[in-house]
Amino acid sequence: MVGEMKISLTFPKLAYAVFFAMILSLVRGVSYSNEIGIALEAPMAILAFTFCADTYTQEIVSRRSEIWRLCPMKKRIHFIYRRILIQELFLLTVAAISYGLFFLFQNPITYGTWEKGLESETCLFFIYVAAIAVTLGFWGILSNLISCLFRNMWVGIGGCLVLCLFTNSIIGDRILGPWNLFSYSFRNLEDSSDFSWICGKAVCICIGILAMALLPEIIKKRG
Amino acid sequence: MGIKIEDLTVTFRNHVTAVNHADLEIPKGIFGLLGENGAGKTTLMRVLTTVLSPTSGTVTLEGIPYSEKTYETIRKKIGYLPQEIDLYPGLSVQECLEYMGDLSGIPRQVYKERIHYYLEKTNLSEQRRKKMKQLSGGMKRRVGLIQALLNEPEFLIVDEPTTGLDPEERIRIRNLLVDFSEGRTVLFSTHVVEDLAATCNQLAVMKHGKFLYAGNMKELLEQARGHIWICKTKEEGAARELEKNYHVSSKQYIGEELQMKLISETPPQVECSSCEATLEDAYIYLANKER
Repeated sequence: MVGEMKISLTFPKLAYAVFFAMILSLVRGVSYSNEIGIALEAPMAILAFTFCADTYTQEIVSRRSEIWRLCPMKKRIHFIYRRILIQELFLLTVAAISYGLFFLFQNPITYGTWEKGLESETCLFFIYVAAIAVTLGFWGILSNLISCLFRNMWVGIGGCLVLCLFTNSIIGDRILGPWNLFSYSFRNLEDSSDFSWICGKAVCICIGILAMALLPEIIKKRG
Repeated sequence: MGIKIEDLTVTFRNHVTAVNHADLEIPKGIFGLLGENGAGKTTLMRVLTTVLSPTSGTVTLEGIPYSEKTYETIRKKIGYLPQEIDLYPGLSVQECLEYMGDLSGIPRQVYKERIHYYLEKTNLSEQRRKKMKQLSGGMKRRVGLIQALLNEPEFLIVDEPTTGLDPEERIRIRNLLVDFSEGRTVLFSTHVVEDLAATCNQLAVMKHGKFLYAGNMKELLEQARGHIWICKTKEEGAARELEKNYHVSSKQYIGEELQMKLISETPPQVECSSCEATLEDAYIYLANKER
């Protein structure tokens, strides 16, 4: 597991992820604390698909994939899943810290921290963590899958970017509504009891599971 | 039993035929594969390692035919050191090898013992804690070789392992390959003729996807015997003329005279004497005879 961490969380990747989160929390203005999730979701998705695109393609670039091919399929897939998990946990930590950084740098108007109900800061934070975990997982897995399919991380990043631009737009919101991949960002802020955005996250989970299931086939075929 | 290749052809989507109706038998021991850049050596090795499926023809390893169904079985018997490989630069030598051992599905205790054994054998024990990126080119190749041997393969394939190394490291890698060839088949691909001359008895020469020769090294040298000539000249014009008319395998100034080694089926039309053929001469003779 230590080896896997050193391979998937290299210093340049750690550095750009942390700087990205820091700069975002400095430059993206928010007035109320419930806007932090909206401010973070799309940028975190971009970070996730960039970060995870080389999960396996680094083996192709370094020509280690020819050795990987000689290893048992189960092991190969297990190792890739393990890398994804490590990266996603790191990104989730960055996302959680970024939430705190927004409080630090933007000083938004807050609700009571220990207030009961859906508008308490604690509750908002946990809802954010749950939503962002799904977002990070989805974009990370998708970007790795596309990269493996085309044996090129830039195709993975580009493909995800196109999908991201479409779904994170007014057109995407109008067409997909609560089923949008960024439904959490498009939720009704004034009605905290409206959880229809969960539909969009359910779509993310379903596609993510499908992508995970497809990965062994793609690795087998494309190597 | 070794490896048997029959009527093997590999044609890429861009219609380039890298291996063209090739037949070859590779027996146990160290077997050299010689050929110029682009001869089809790497493509052949990619087929042998199951990375690439041939367009037509058959390959068998210890009697097992290569097919989608048998790939898993065959892969367990193969160790491979690709031409250019960048093994996890952020990991130490020990971590890197343990990672590869784990990935290969070898039990932890077994791969730890093998890593220890091979690090000793390759004189890398002291470097085990060094990061891969801190190693010299030769050391990296040695680690690559250990990685290829971790699953105790019956068939070891090494693709140009000595390219870019200094003479001492080249000799070390060559000697290791000879040591590790005991009881297994080692396919040693290179375009450095001296490396094969120092390690193999059996070899195949490849050009344009075909085998120009496959067999004993002595017989190859025998084929070139009587076709290698040495001549000396002081005149630049005469030297230029010789270069135009014959294949020159070497040129050397000895005092004021230029000594040239010519390859020709018939004695050159200048004063010259016949000489013993080296493997390099024999290779040049063979490669140009088929032109």
